[in-house]
Amino acid sequence: MRRPPLVRLSLAAVAAAFALGPLALFAGAAGAAPGPFQTTRHNAGTPNSSQVTRNASGQIISYGNKWITYNAPSSALTQLGEALYMENCASCHGTKANGVPAAGTVGAYPNLVGLGPATIDFWVVSGRMPAADPTSVQAPRRQPRLTPTQAEAIAAWVNSLSPSYPYIPDPHLKRANVATGMALFALNCAACHTIEGDGDALAYSTFAPSLRNIPAYQVAEAIRTGPANMPRFTGNLSDQQVNDIVAYVTKYIQHPQNPGGFGLGQLGPVAEGFVALVIGVGLLALIAYWIGERA
Amino acid sequence: MSSEVINTKRAKQEAAGPYGKVGHALNELDDRLGVAKGGRSFLDKIFPDHWSFMLGEIALYSFLVLLVTGVFLTLYYVPSSAIVTYHGPYLPLVGQKVTQAYASTVNLSFSVRAGLLMRQMHHWACDIFVGALVVHMARIFFTGAFRKPRELNWTIGVTLLTLAIANGFLGYSLPDDLVSGTGIRIAYSIMLSIPLVGTYLAFFVFGGNFPGTAIIPRFFILHVLIVPLVILGLVGAHLALLVRQKHTQFPGPGREENNVVGSPMFPVFMAKTTGYLFGVSGVIALLGAFAQINPIWQFGPYDAARISYAVQPDWYMGFLDGALRIFPAWSFMGFGHTIPLEVTIPAVIFPGLLFGLAYAWPALERRVTGDHAIHHLLDRPSLRPKRTAAGVAVLALLSALFIASSTDVIANFFHISLNTVLWAMRVIVIVSPFVAYPITYKICKELQGVHGAGKRKTPNLVVRTDEGEYLAEPTPAYPEDVHQELEPTPVPTFIEEPEPESAAPGVRVVER
Repeated sequence: MRRPPLVRLSLAAVAAAFALGPLALFAGAAGAAPGPFQTTRHNAGTPNSSQVTRNASGQIISYGNKWITYNAPSSALTQLGEALYMENCASCHGTKANGVPAAGTVGAYPNLVGLGPATIDFWVVSGRMPAADPTSVQAPRRQPRLTPTQAEAIAAWVNSLSPSYPYIPDPHLKRANVATGMALFALNCAACHTIEGDGDALAYSTFAPSLRNIPAYQVAEAIRTGPANMPRFTGNLSDQQVNDIVAYVTKYIQHPQNPGGFGLGQLGPVAEGFVALVIGVGLLALIAYWIGERA
Repeated sequence: MSSEVINTKRAKQEAAGPYGKVGHALNELDDRLGVAKGGRSFLDKIFPDHWSFMLGEIALYSFLVLLVTGVFLTLYYVPSSAIVTYHGPYLPLVGQKVTQAYASTVNLSFSVRAGLLMRQMHHWACDIFVGALVVHMARIFFTGAFRKPRELNWTIGVTLLTLAIANGFLGYSLPDDLVSGTGIRIAYSIMLSIPLVGTYLAFFVFGGNFPGTAIIPRFFILHVLIVPLVILGLVGAHLALLVRQKHTQFPGPGREENNVVGSPMFPVFMAKTTGYLFGVSGVIALLGAFAQINPIWQFGPYDAARISYAVQPDWYMGFLDGALRIFPAWSFMGFGHTIPLEVTIPAVIFPGLLFGLAYAWPALERRVTGDHAIHHLLDRPSLRPKRTAAGVAVLALLSALFIASSTDVIANFFHISLNTVLWAMRVIVIVSPFVAYPITYKICKELQGVHGAGKRKTPNLVVRTDEGEYLAEPTPAYPEDVHQELEPTPVPTFIEEPEPESAAPGVRVVER
């Protein structure tokens, strides 16, 4: 049925209003946010926390609460950090840490300014940076080329260019509740890292890395900064919840309670099926071969 | 004094009769039930000695282990979706809201003496049970043991395999953990994908929308009562037919269509098979004690909002999972209906065709070969190259699909793109049967020409003649391999069969 043009026009206007209304609201909300990498939420990795420590010149050197303390990289390391940065990072990210040739253009390396010390520290201390192969889709965790102190120094220098958050987290695992951690892990992490924390391949050569042998503070860094394809968990997880997840990962994922024998590589039913067929049925067929007639 | 004489050992033995106390008891039994006649022929049943005839026994005995461990598990498992708060020794679960099914499974693993051992043995026994069924079925198929007159037993066997796979899935779902809950969700989607009746069927089975609270008790009663009862009945029918129709055997000297060569039930086979029962239960017990399987406490309780990556079903469902993974995202929309072909084809139509083919194979082969004769002698697989090649082609397809169920594991292990692996598996799955068929056919043809294939090897004796010449001669066959036709020994009969008395015409006298 063809409607009169005026009716159609007004219908279209109503439809457009419905479609654009939420968008406009969303744009307003985005405009009110303090910055692209910060959140206003309480206890979510920003200085908007219960305990804030400042130095003599008024700069925040640590913040946090009873679950996680976020520490700024020591400003005494800034000079060392600049030297290390120029030596190890500048050839790709540029001498001003803003990416080369220009931030945002195709082929540029990421702009590091404003990412926050936790991000810089995580990438360097986990051995992902300096990258062995800058063309690979996703940098894998490797034996780190720089020590934790050197990584902190680089973070200190990059942060000195434009102070930003989150700082390097220090979770207080003794206060954590592993049961909440397990529930949150199943809800937020298992979809990529698997429920046993082994990690697995994702689409187009990206992957979720294994969570074994990772120090607690790096797990917290990853949750708060979202390296590579991982989402940044800021607004939806409080410091208490992050602390719970980190405790579950470092206590139970990395040291699983394995009653019931060998863990079979935590690979699940594929390994179990292999054992059942090759060792179970295979061994029994061999016994049959032993007690039976062979020709 | 006379009472002392009666109490001597010899006097007691004499009082008990010529066959002792046991014999006396058996005599009493025979007088009432007449077991001697049937028992005699049963104890004399001949079992061929070839090792491949014992593969089915792995399945039989692992089923026995399944029954015993399963009864133990039912004493502690609570089939309920009611939500409880977990309290127990495993800290990461303390205080979590879980279903009673999950809580009771974790409790029986951690707090019941030998509970975890029983649960692991039950799971290993199941994996081995289905594996043994497949291997046994392959032996039957490749040697042509399904041919006339044994088609009915083949049909029972295929039904047993189907039921075993179904019951394995049901049992895997019962703990209601994160991994198995995902499996139930997939099963629900597969039901939904059946055209026209899918929604009704899924709602009927689940008592409403997914997940609901009805599915755990329903799966439970299917898993512990109905399906095992049917399996038990069919196993009985399978074995009864086996006894009735007698065993097949490989051809050989003295082994004809009209006889069976092997060991009698008593004492040789009974000793052998009892030992094998202990062997099967021993291997399962060792696996249950030393190899962890399905650590549900690490997986946590199922919740429809949660999912874990890298989740796979037990191995016997792997080919279905693989087919689902690699099938392209096709769907049909029209006439007010959506048919998700990407689920319907790999998970409904494909297994339907596969098991349909298995059921129909004896009839198909009769039709193609025109062979309607009765066969008690087995084929060597190499002598039936087309059947062997067809069987290997199907196994290759299923193996490729099984490997396709771990595309993510392969991609992660070899550091290659998941998408590349996916496409490679699509090609491999389609190509594998067409590669396997001609290769198997060629190997069979080659084996047909090999001298002495399938016979026990004897060493060659190298002798040096007086002139210095070296000659290699085969040594004579082992004495136990040489067939000797023995004079038949009459079976001693202990049963006196009276001649039926002649009766008036029209009155039939039936022997007792």
